[in-house]
Amino acid sequence: MDDRIEDFTLIGTTILRREDGYLLRGRAKFLDDLPEPKGLIHLAFVLSPHARANILSIDASAAMALPGVVDVLTGRDFTDDIKPFAPTIEIDGYRDVRRPVVAVDRVNFVGEYVAVILAETPYAAQDALELVEVDYEPLEAVVGIREALRDDAPAVHEHLGNNLIFKGEFSTPEFDKHFASGEVVVEGEFRTGRVTGAMIEPRGVLAVPDPIATTVTLWTPTQIPHIVRTAICEHLGISESLLTVATPAVGGGFGTKAHVYPDELIAVALARRYCRAVKWVQDRREDLLTNAHARDFLLRIKVALDREARIRAVYLDIKTDGGAYPNHPYSPTLESTGCARMMLGPYRISHYKYDVCSVMTNTTPTGAYRGTGQPPAFMAIEGIMDRIGRRMGIDPAEVRRRNTIRAEEFPYVNAVGVRYDTGSYYESLQEGLQAIGYDEFRKTQPADRLVDGKYRGIGICNYLEVTGTGAPGWRARGFAKMPGFDSSRVVIEPDGKATVYVSQADAGQGHYTTYAQIVADRLGLSWEDVIVVEGDTSKVPYGTGTFASRGSVVGGGTVIRGCEKVKAKVRRIAAYMLGVPPERLVLAGGRVHDRDDPNTGLTMHEVAETAYSMNNLGLPQGEEHGLEATDYYDPPLVTMANGCHVVQVAVDPETGSVTIERHVAVHDCGRVINPAIVAGQVQGATVQGIGEALMEELVYDGEGQLQNANLLDYLLPTAMDVPDLVLRNIETPSIDTVAGIKGTAEAGLTGAVPAIANAVNDALAGLGVDVNRIPLRPSYIFDLIRGAQAAGGGRK
Amino acid sequence: MILDGETLIPADRRAVWKALNDPDVLRSCIPGCQSLERQSDTDFTSSVRAAVGPVSATFGAKITLSEIEPDRGYTISGEGKGGAAGFARGKARVDLTDEAGGTRLRYNADVNVGGKLAQVGSRLIQGTAKKLSEEFFGRLAEQLGGGELATGAARPAPAAAAASSSVPGGRRLWAGIGLIAVIAMAWWLGR
Repeated sequence: MDDRIEDFTLIGTTILRREDGYLLRGRAKFLDDLPEPKGLIHLAFVLSPHARANILSIDASAAMALPGVVDVLTGRDFTDDIKPFAPTIEIDGYRDVRRPVVAVDRVNFVGEYVAVILAETPYAAQDALELVEVDYEPLEAVVGIREALRDDAPAVHEHLGNNLIFKGEFSTPEFDKHFASGEVVVEGEFRTGRVTGAMIEPRGVLAVPDPIATTVTLWTPTQIPHIVRTAICEHLGISESLLTVATPAVGGGFGTKAHVYPDELIAVALARRYCRAVKWVQDRREDLLTNAHARDFLLRIKVALDREARIRAVYLDIKTDGGAYPNHPYSPTLESTGCARMMLGPYRISHYKYDVCSVMTNTTPTGAYRGTGQPPAFMAIEGIMDRIGRRMGIDPAEVRRRNTIRAEEFPYVNAVGVRYDTGSYYESLQEGLQAIGYDEFRKTQPADRLVDGKYRGIGICNYLEVTGTGAPGWRARGFAKMPGFDSSRVVIEPDGKATVYVSQADAGQGHYTTYAQIVADRLGLSWEDVIVVEGDTSKVPYGTGTFASRGSVVGGGTVIRGCEKVKAKVRRIAAYMLGVPPERLVLAGGRVHDRDDPNTGLTMHEVAETAYSMNNLGLPQGEEHGLEATDYYDPPLVTMANGCHVVQVAVDPETGSVTIERHVAVHDCGRVINPAIVAGQVQGATVQGIGEALMEELVYDGEGQLQNANLLDYLLPTAMDVPDLVLRNIETPSIDTVAGIKGTAEAGLTGAVPAIANAVNDALAGLGVDVNRIPLRPSYIFDLIRGAQAAGGGRK
Repeated sequence: MILDGETLIPADRRAVWKALNDPDVLRSCIPGCQSLERQSDTDFTSSVRAAVGPVSATFGAKITLSEIEPDRGYTISGEGKGGAAGFARGKARVDLTDEAGGTRLRYNADVNVGGKLAQVGSRLIQGTAKKLSEEFFGRLAEQLGGGELATGAARPAPAAAAASSSVPGGRRLWAGIGLIAVIAMAWWLGR
């Protein structure tokens, strides 16, 4: 099949999201809005208050005596029918760690499930929580990457002997020689704070057995229904035919909901065991405490350059905190190898070496969150670009220009073997600089950066975004069981209208609009006549799901391919009906007609009636009834989108607070399906990046106690923190993907975080301080300013 | 979390010491104390009803006295465990010295809280400790200052005695956290 399609009609135009009609009217049905079956059992989880402890005893007698309590179960009650999590990661240096769905004998993080309450009402379940007496023997907890790596640190998992769950390395040939050829060496260290998705809707489960409990439907707001189904069935030892995983309306996923969680397995197991429906809805504290955290990184980067600031070689050392157990199904390697492979960015870096490790600590397991590994990667490479500039007396924009891959160099294969097929790396940088008025800003910026009593600086992040990873891309990183493909089934119904079933799971991305738009475009229908079905394993063919910016590249790609397959059949049948060759037929305006004669021809309805045997015409010889096609699309290794954020900030010397005054986001995601939705993705991710850069951080004390599992203390950006974003779009279609589409969901975050950090660094450059960790809270910035002033730098 | 402070109690050192070792006095001075029983010369068990922000619960705790120097001071350690509200562990050194107008009580406590208390109450703990310890010292000072030890329910005397102490820099030393940090912390926060 020729994937290079050019004759677009609706693709590339803004259509307002059909989802917004019911979302904005409050009519969407989220998990907790689903009708509750009779005889429902409500769950509540007893959470460990200790970061590391032996469980000496659990006394549930008082809880069991409470009216309305059905049962109280502990870890041992599940060991027979639920296997522990142990993600399959086939990469050198990864070591297996297993996680029981409910702790057995030992807890390893605050918030780990210790017991499960089953009750007739949610109230009884909550009351019973207070009555379960657990006797713990607290043990010394391991908290923090450096602490975990100390020789005398206790091993979180004794069988490992230390706390390294993963240790990897990579080097291009003769790296040391090339590094040594550098005439200038610039180094930097960076620290990124632990954050989480903080979706507006926390997670929950509703498992509904059929009357004889042979099959179960699990409602869960997941981004990966098929992966969840496979994981549950594997771990419970039941047939995949017996389980349906379905998503209601989902209030945000952001990667946090792209994991398999213990409660999903528990709910299905209990629905089968008790032959009753089982429900649990997470509260905000449980969300922040137990859902996957992310981004807990320490990075050290060393760059060797020639005297013209051209990069000769880059060395990167990455350490990530995986938390107490590997997340399922990715393990901590998702973040660490993702960072290592993305750090090269849009730059001509031929010689590269990295060391990477992930440690186990007594904290919440970390995993995917919008941008996964990329904001830290670009903190490092974009942070070092600025430091190179300052060190060598060259404008940081010019340092980037000298090293950025130019249009004539595509396709470019980078040092880790990733192909950059097309891009606008240089053009995006220039566009961003121009849009913010970079040169004028620099001309008037005083050496001490003080303008109107505030330090003002400008920061750049010239990024790539990895999107639409295919099977080879997952295999290259050791994800042996990650499918990589996605699929669609495109059906033209007897009335000539279409339904498309896609192996994706919308969490707010607008799939119900964009896939309809694609089908309408390819089949010449009105987009209102196309219905999109997804998020239900009993209805859609198998696929990987909606995460890692897959929806447009892989989901969009398979929908287009499915349409082309159906289109071929439409043409064959219409050709037979009209007596013209199929290649002369065009699908447009709900009709099929000769390309030179739009006035004759057939309606799609008439063609469909023939296909469904609803007239006397019959089918061409050898043709089957029906008018549908199924497609499985495994995209290239990866598809790289790119862009550039340029940000101007003001730092208040008296308070240390940072205000973003101007923020330009240039983005290039190849062929655009719906410009308004792309703009929404860039804008939303940028706002999350502002949160990550300035305020969000999950804080642990030295004993592994999470200090801020609430939204009063875990700060999220509000409208007050967000400037008017200037969005610019460049469209450089891929030559490797279907229709040239590249993904777009995470880039805003990857661009915003380093650009803001660099802008603050630039604002404080007159003080000679090194701003190298996020979040850039006022207390941190204030201390840096005061420290510099005390040392004689800066004003006063 | 390190908490320290000092307060002047208008009673002589021996009387203060005696009060600090008298379960009846302690029971009446500790805010929310439902029970306090001496299990041995150095061990107590207690049950205290307390609230830290949105988290309220009855905390059961074990308290142990050590490094006892009669009339001069002791180290008090406490541990509460279990319960949906979380737990607390604390240890504090309490020292008494003579001073014009009474006895200077200094304390230095190291308190750790865990579970829900830490997750949703961290920002409130310092303030709660201050409030509870002010209440504790207020009641203690009142009882001792009155010359006799009441065993009935003490009246709350918010901040009165506590506020009277200060450190040289002018920074107010809420007598706070002290004993409570100790006694209280260990158990009210405890369990």
